[in-house]
Amino acid sequence: MKFRRFTQRSEKDARLADEIEAHLAHEVDANIARGLSPEEARRRARLKFGNPRVIRERVWEYRSLPWIEDAWRDFRFALRSLAKSPTFAIIAILVIAVGIGANTAVFSVINTVLLKPLRYPDPQSLVMLANTGPQGLFPAANVPKFNIWHRQTGIFEAVAGYDQAGAGLNLTGGNDPEQLEGVHVTADYFRLFGAPILAGRTFTAAEDSPNGGRVTVLSYGLWKRRLGGNPNIVGTNIQLDGQPYLVVGIIGRDFFTATPTDLWLPYQFNLNSRDMAHYFQVAARLKPGVTVPMANAELKLAADQFRNTYPGSMGPKAGFAVVPLQEIMVGDSRLSLLVLLGAVTFVLLIACANVANLLLIRATARQRELATRSALGAGRGHIIRQLLTESLAISLVGGLLGLIIGFVGVRLLLAISPGGIPRIGPHGSAVNLDGNVLLFTVAVSILTGIFFGLFPALSSSRVNLAVALKESSSQAGVGSRTGRVRSLLVISEVALALVLVVGAALLIRTFLKLQAVDPGFDTHNVLTMAMSISGERFQNTASVAQVVRDGAERLKNIPGVETAAAACCLPLDGGFGLPFDIVGRPKTNDPNSGGAGYLPISWSYFDAFKVPILRGRSFTEQDDGSAPGVVIINQAMARKYWPTGDPLNDRLLIGANMGSVFAEPPRQIVGVVGDMRGDGLNRDPSPAMYIPIAQMPDKVTALNSRIAPLMWIVRSPVDPHPLVKPLAVALREASGGLPVAHVRTMDEIVVLNTSRQRFNMLLLVIFGASALFVAAIGIYGLMGYSVQQRTQELGIRMALGAQASTIRNMVIRQGMVLAAIGVAIGVGGALWLTHFLASFLFGVKALDPMAFIATLLLLSAVALVAVWIPARRATRVSPVAALRFE
Amino acid sequence: MPISRKDTHIAGEILQGTLDLLILRTLLPGRAHGHTIAEVIEHTSENALEIEQGSLYPALHRLEDRGLLASEWGVSENNRKAKFYWLTPKGRKQLTIETNRWKHMTRAIGLILGEAQ
Repeated sequence: MKFRRFTQRSEKDARLADEIEAHLAHEVDANIARGLSPEEARRRARLKFGNPRVIRERVWEYRSLPWIEDAWRDFRFALRSLAKSPTFAIIAILVIAVGIGANTAVFSVINTVLLKPLRYPDPQSLVMLANTGPQGLFPAANVPKFNIWHRQTGIFEAVAGYDQAGAGLNLTGGNDPEQLEGVHVTADYFRLFGAPILAGRTFTAAEDSPNGGRVTVLSYGLWKRRLGGNPNIVGTNIQLDGQPYLVVGIIGRDFFTATPTDLWLPYQFNLNSRDMAHYFQVAARLKPGVTVPMANAELKLAADQFRNTYPGSMGPKAGFAVVPLQEIMVGDSRLSLLVLLGAVTFVLLIACANVANLLLIRATARQRELATRSALGAGRGHIIRQLLTESLAISLVGGLLGLIIGFVGVRLLLAISPGGIPRIGPHGSAVNLDGNVLLFTVAVSILTGIFFGLFPALSSSRVNLAVALKESSSQAGVGSRTGRVRSLLVISEVALALVLVVGAALLIRTFLKLQAVDPGFDTHNVLTMAMSISGERFQNTASVAQVVRDGAERLKNIPGVETAAAACCLPLDGGFGLPFDIVGRPKTNDPNSGGAGYLPISWSYFDAFKVPILRGRSFTEQDDGSAPGVVIINQAMARKYWPTGDPLNDRLLIGANMGSVFAEPPRQIVGVVGDMRGDGLNRDPSPAMYIPIAQMPDKVTALNSRIAPLMWIVRSPVDPHPLVKPLAVALREASGGLPVAHVRTMDEIVVLNTSRQRFNMLLLVIFGASALFVAAIGIYGLMGYSVQQRTQELGIRMALGAQASTIRNMVIRQGMVLAAIGVAIGVGGALWLTHFLASFLFGVKALDPMAFIATLLLLSAVALVAVWIPARRATRVSPVAALRFE
Repeated sequence: MPISRKDTHIAGEILQGTLDLLILRTLLPGRAHGHTIAEVIEHTSENALEIEQGSLYPALHRLEDRGLLASEWGVSENNRKAKFYWLTPKGRKQLTIETNRWKHMTRAIGLILGEAQ
């Protein structure tokens, strides 16, 4: 109310002027009526009214807000005063801008990933259903579990299943077929996530049952890009994998999916299935008023029920749980973002310490100005306010600059290296400037300004007038008190910088170790491609084996191809797992005790990846559907399950208890191969079973084809990129017209796999380097200033015969003592703080002596350089000039 | 200079309270513009309360800002543009309170002065 009065007062003043004018006119009228001349009438009217200007001023003043005007005046004065010492202002603003910029950058990512709610209606009630167990939590489902979760109507409003990634689909019926990202969903999916429907409708329950027909819902992107954006397409057919699919609806543009999606298909589950393999995920919406712990209590009962219905399918320690959807999406990036936030806070603290130091130096130089103002009647409060306003001016201008630096910086960084962070969109495009980020930056700027400005303002406002005015400006206030504070500030800068640099060193070491890891296979010159085989043609093993055999044959005949192979999946790119029993051994109670990776491959797979055969033999073309079942295991599995015996004497029963889909006779172990680090370069190899694609049970093939594409692997003696075109042509011929997609080299997949570590390392190196730089400026500034202040003393010493080297060593010693204290404190802090990094490290310990020693040396070297320059200047002091210095 | 300003300020505040009351009372019969209000106050007090007419306006604006008066531009009796003021319900209530307070006070002052005589 009062504020509106203030903002509208110009306009109100104009209206008041009108009103006064009207008043005067009335009075003139009255006077004329009394028989006065117009001249006299006007004169008397004005006399009677008083001065209109004074009246307007009184109203104006009463509508003013004094503190805003005072603040604005102080602010303008601060800017003028900063403009008078541009070097100081520029350095201070830049240092603060770097500090705030780094914070804005990290916060804008945190805002996008952790703070912004998911873009679904009422996102807090969305949860993922997960399996719990001794190994942790994994969100995946099979039909029996989906059924039992679906029945929990007391806690869930809706439950929907959907593909994790999807096998892909081929849009056919045109001249250039294209592989699409098709996601299978149950009918409730769209309602659960509140998908906006642009045209038509979503799937009916009837369409989402076995034999529900071929129907599809299109995404906005596919509809615009490939299908011309014509809404009349609803109700017509498109060709997918050579079959007509009825388009029933189109989803609006703003619908967010966790994985890229071109179109949706109904899952059409056979709800009577007893297959236990997990191959899709389930989300649910909690009923209003139902909390996560309440839901989990219900699910505990559901898990018991499940164990009774399907004996042997779930261990006694296993169970079900719900996890908020956002938590699942954010995953482990939460911790890494919080650690980065901690790191940038350090950078900002160093920047603050630095600017506080600059302000102290500046205040000393301004002692006389302040004393003069104080003598002229400015109270201490007024001087403090003025000095604080100056720091706020610095921090706000720095904050504005920091906002630009931070925002542009983070977008650039994410475009180069997205670091596997979820929710940030392609190349970080979802990271934007919103109210939260602006508020954060403004708040940090103001806090920063007060933080670095308060002490200098308090200490320099405590002026002893008599002394300050009498003394020369160069000597005033060289009190030991502010000197001690300045030393303390430099010490803390060094300590904070040391912690950051140690962190950076640890992450660099981690990254180098990761680079040096032997993945167990040769990643160079290997090209991979995905081919979707979700069509009707590939529901049995023989047809898939046929395409694999023909394709590999054709690929091998292309000049430049050394070996070609196919597999269900690629190392470092996800995969399947199944339980197994070793025939003849007593069964353990826990079905998970014998679990291993399950990798259907073509016979040339180990050749293509150059994986050594350690025992027995590799697969051959003869290991096909008609030959006896065989399996090859990796060394990790051999070590774990045959610590003494010979695995080649044993047979494996794979997928027992998993339902009829996986039923097959035992397989003979025919070989042991070297370990491939397929789960990640930083993970120890886990047990893996390889089986020939040609020997998969038909139903497993059908399931596989539906949920994952077939991967092609081509090794070339040289860079395989030029081969992409002929390879795609050959594969299209071999497969009867199927396109390939996701063309990547194995090296690219490795880079992707280490992108999180690269991202963390990159950021911490940037932060560490800026911290080091700013701290070096701090030491340099302090020592430089102290040499300048002591010119006279140094001159006298030299006049009395001190050697240049003595002077130099004295200055160096003083500077290095400060650095050493800072280092000591910093090492203490780092010993404690690095354990927060422990989960990001690989191959190094949090207390890695190498990292600590390297940091110590680096920091000492930088400090020495920063001290050396002022020390050399000290030796150049001419005694004569110094004594005249006053 | 600052001292004298402070003094007039206090004097002004005392006057202000009275002026506010007079304005509210003047508007009791119905709406009126500034000039009319000034004339009515002047005449009904038999010219005893001669004020600078201009000082009416800060009071009018303050009363309006406090929601005691409402206003609107219109055409006056001699066909000129003028801003008309009238009492809001809140203003009416305030007038009753102020009038009572005033009566109490004048009575008290009267008693004191009567005793002194």
